[in-house]
Amino acid sequence: MRMFLLGLAALVIVAIAGISAPWLQFLLSLAIAKGLAALGVAILLRAGLISIGHAMFFAIGAYATAFLTRNGITDFVSLLILSTLIATAAGVVVGAFMVRYRAIFFAMLNLAVSMVLFSLLSKLYNITGGTDGMRVARATFFGIAPGEQTFELIVFLTSLVVVMLVGFAVSAYFRSPLGEALKAVHTNEIRLEYISIPVWGVLLVGYTISAALAGLGGSFAAMIIGHVLPEMAFWTESGHLILVAVLGGIGGVAGPFIGAIFLELVHTFAASFTDAWSMIVGAALLFVIFFLPSGLYGLINKKRGGSAV
Amino acid sequence: MLQVLIPLTVDALANAAIIFFVAVGLTLVFSVLRVLNVAHGSFYSIGAYAAASLGLWVVSAGLPEWLTFPALVLSAAFVAAIFGPFVEHLLIRWTYGKSEALQILVTFGLFLILEDLQRIVFGVNSLYEDTPMRLLGSTMIGGIVYLNYQLLLIALAILTLVGLKLMISHTRMGKLIAAVVADREISQALGINTNRIFMLAFTLGVFLAALGGALATPTTGVSPGLGADTMVLAFAVAAIGGLGRIEGAAVAAIIVALARVLAIYYAPELDAVAPYLVMLVVLLVRPYGLFHTDTTRRI
Amino acid sequence: MDGLKKYLGLAALGLSMFGSALAYAQEKPASLGIGVFSFTSGATAAYGMPGRNAAELMIEQINAAGGIGGVPLKATYVDEGQGTEGVIADFRKLAGDAENQVMIAALSSGNCMALAPLVDQLKIPTVGWNCDTHQLFASEAHPYYFRPNGNTVPEFMAYALYMLSVKPDAKRIAIINPDYAFGHDAANIFKAALKAFKPDAEIVAELFPKLGAATFQTEISRLTAARPDVIFSNLWGGDLENFVRQAAPRGLFSMSQAVLALGESSLQNVQIPEGVIVGVLGDGWWNSPDAAANEETQKFAAAYKEKFGSYPVFPSMKMANSFLFIKKAYETALEKNGGKWPSRDEVAEAMKGSVVETFTGTTTVREDNDGVVDQIIGTTVKVEGFDFPVLGNMVRYSGEALMPPVGEDPIEWIGKLPADFPASLPQPGSYK
Repeated sequence: MRMFLLGLAALVIVAIAGISAPWLQFLLSLAIAKGLAALGVAILLRAGLISIGHAMFFAIGAYATAFLTRNGITDFVSLLILSTLIATAAGVVVGAFMVRYRAIFFAMLNLAVSMVLFSLLSKLYNITGGTDGMRVARATFFGIAPGEQTFELIVFLTSLVVVMLVGFAVSAYFRSPLGEALKAVHTNEIRLEYISIPVWGVLLVGYTISAALAGLGGSFAAMIIGHVLPEMAFWTESGHLILVAVLGGIGGVAGPFIGAIFLELVHTFAASFTDAWSMIVGAALLFVIFFLPSGLYGLINKKRGGSAV
Repeated sequence: MLQVLIPLTVDALANAAIIFFVAVGLTLVFSVLRVLNVAHGSFYSIGAYAAASLGLWVVSAGLPEWLTFPALVLSAAFVAAIFGPFVEHLLIRWTYGKSEALQILVTFGLFLILEDLQRIVFGVNSLYEDTPMRLLGSTMIGGIVYLNYQLLLIALAILTLVGLKLMISHTRMGKLIAAVVADREISQALGINTNRIFMLAFTLGVFLAALGGALATPTTGVSPGLGADTMVLAFAVAAIGGLGRIEGAAVAAIIVALARVLAIYYAPELDAVAPYLVMLVVLLVRPYGLFHTDTTRRI
Repeated sequence: MDGLKKYLGLAALGLSMFGSALAYAQEKPASLGIGVFSFTSGATAAYGMPGRNAAELMIEQINAAGGIGGVPLKATYVDEGQGTEGVIADFRKLAGDAENQVMIAALSSGNCMALAPLVDQLKIPTVGWNCDTHQLFASEAHPYYFRPNGNTVPEFMAYALYMLSVKPDAKRIAIINPDYAFGHDAANIFKAALKAFKPDAEIVAELFPKLGAATFQTEISRLTAARPDVIFSNLWGGDLENFVRQAAPRGLFSMSQAVLALGESSLQNVQIPEGVIVGVLGDGWWNSPDAAANEETQKFAAAYKEKFGSYPVFPSMKMANSFLFIKKAYETALEKNGGKWPSRDEVAEAMKGSVVETFTGTTTVREDNDGVVDQIIGTTVKVEGFDFPVLGNMVRYSGEALMPPVGEDPIEWIGKLPADFPASLPQPGSYK
């Protein structure tokens, strides 16, 4: 209950900030989009699996949105749902292969698939626009095409609602037997098999959910930025998603969002002082790993924050 | 057909030579330390920057031009000496025996730091220093002019492969490394200073990556973003060969290079995707790489 | 959480400052803010820096002469080397600040395509100073986006025509272009022109290495193996320089006639051999017969050489011309307003259909906001007075002749040109 209230309070603060400072809306919406993908990564991290390719589902969600708008589907909600479904389907297919592997091999195989996607997106100029990427036309809301400011506000508010819904759903999932089994995979996989829980199934469900979340985030990002690019699937993007998850802390649902918003704000303010942005982030990551193993989230919730890795 | 076969082979080998240096370093570090170093590609680009800078200095200082050759190796050694022991001691050592996720994260943090470090030290512009390439001239093979420097690279890669194998099988140091790879605990119990072995192996890995970068500069130049691109290619090669297998890295480098060259010759739109397609196919069929067997000793 | 609150507090502070800036947008501002986008990092900076340098010099010179309408210019520079996502975010940020009233963006065709919808939404007059892709205005109108230097169609038509004039027997053609809109557009136009005026020409290799690819060794082998009569390329910046450095020792330029479309921008950086067809994508050669006769141009070139140590290559001239274009628009708008400082809308209005005398010629803005400029092409030659090759055997095609009418598909338009079209144009060597 305490966590729920804290989460709600954080959401309200973000909402107030965004509404009172409209130029923050773009920034916060984008942070939330990346937070969704990072939450997906966090689910896998719970099971002790690290993917250096998870940005591929972010990219799949984003490109799905771009292709759908190009083909005449412009409704915001339909785009979010369809793109997420496409990413989910991709998650099931890719996941079916992935969940057989662990540790470094899981990481590498994910990397391989994401790099195939990245290179195809960059090379197939006539289909995907190549390295130029694709434009995403302004989405409509139930047939109404809003102006610039209204659009940003609606997207921002929707993203908050989505965060709330996803937050509830994912915490319910974490508390369910399937979610608890994820952690058990990390601690002792063989024991799970002994009590006849199919590890394969547990992981596939986790993988699919994480792909769906990344796709949802990608779809949001595509509509917020108005453009999709192959770089969305590059391996360093996957690295950044893990970074966001760990920075925020993977103990609870709020962690990845805290990480994403924190990072996006620091980036905006740091950009005016220094170019060495990557260095700051890298150092922050090392700091968190060495000194705050539960991430920023662990600062708020000392008791429940699970170890990052 | 034959007249394409020769250039195809030369191009593939020339490509493979450069990838080999960086991939074999990655795989060596993995086999000894059991750490996948995500920042490995950065050592390649740092080596490239260092070599280009030193070469430019040699030329601008009016020193004899042949000095640019030792400058290539020297700058790689310099990079290894600065970064190898320091990074291993400060960061990597801390992750031994921890989860792969943690190791990847720590080295990713290192990657981010090194990327900016390069911008700060070497600036954001490309450097180009091609004196060694010019000095060596060119040779006609199969109706196509190749740079002798490219042929030299192939020879150097083969020498390095043979040298590494000889070092492991014939020197005291190499045997210690092999022992640590085979069984860390027993080696420790037998009184081998594993920490020293780890540091040496890591430094050797950094040297190989930096050497790859340094040797590549005379024909390619260096610009920002090189590290990230090289990293992922090295991953692919190391994974295809089987992480931890030295000759695996060599064969995989040739396979990947051949795939790229074939793509550029016959299906240019597939050139970037070729290495990763090969990686994907190999990993799906043999997840632990082409050269991995459970029973044989790794390395 | 406290950290977050602190940042949000800071954010609110930023907002109030932003609000006060909006208040006096219509009065004469303390400075005229301009966002200038170019590549200033990475391999592409070899082409982008001359553009940025020219912007600095132009601002310095305009401000020394009292600014525009008494208001000094103030530029914010954005590096396109950071990637398109960052470019979009920075454009948004700059346009959101009322102090910035006009944008010069962008260098890359890919970035212009990505920014176009944003320009429409944010309604800020924007000058595409270097991006050339004809796709920009092909399918939709962008009322606030202007491109005084025109597009890829006349630019690459001109190369095909020039090449066919000097190499009428060329049959085997190879193409190596960067892998994005600009490279693909150029290849399509070049091929369409060949098809129209030299139907028996054959494309023996068509390669699209990625922008920023450091090594072209395999591509060079592939090109050599194809034994082309002509190698056409619109590689640029560091890519072009790397390509030349790697291809020259391997004999590519002695085997085939090279057409390096953006060659002039690299003549001072890398040894491009004599006899290579190069040009300036427009009329922007600082030392063309017209530019040489223009006192202002020569003053600018001398000041540039003094400040940066080299002559202003054509990206510098395009940037400088963009400033002249903006200056003219402000002067027109101020005059129309009776001296009152114009709004963004009024500046855009003044840019519409404007005809501007630039340092290197004249640009005429058509109703689709694309500019019509002449095309200068030549062949590299050594002359006394310069330690690098310059353009010789030049031609200056009229921009109008090579520009397809508004709304017409350029590839179809080229296909419909009469067979004697090339004969109706001036010949190489005629521009002296």
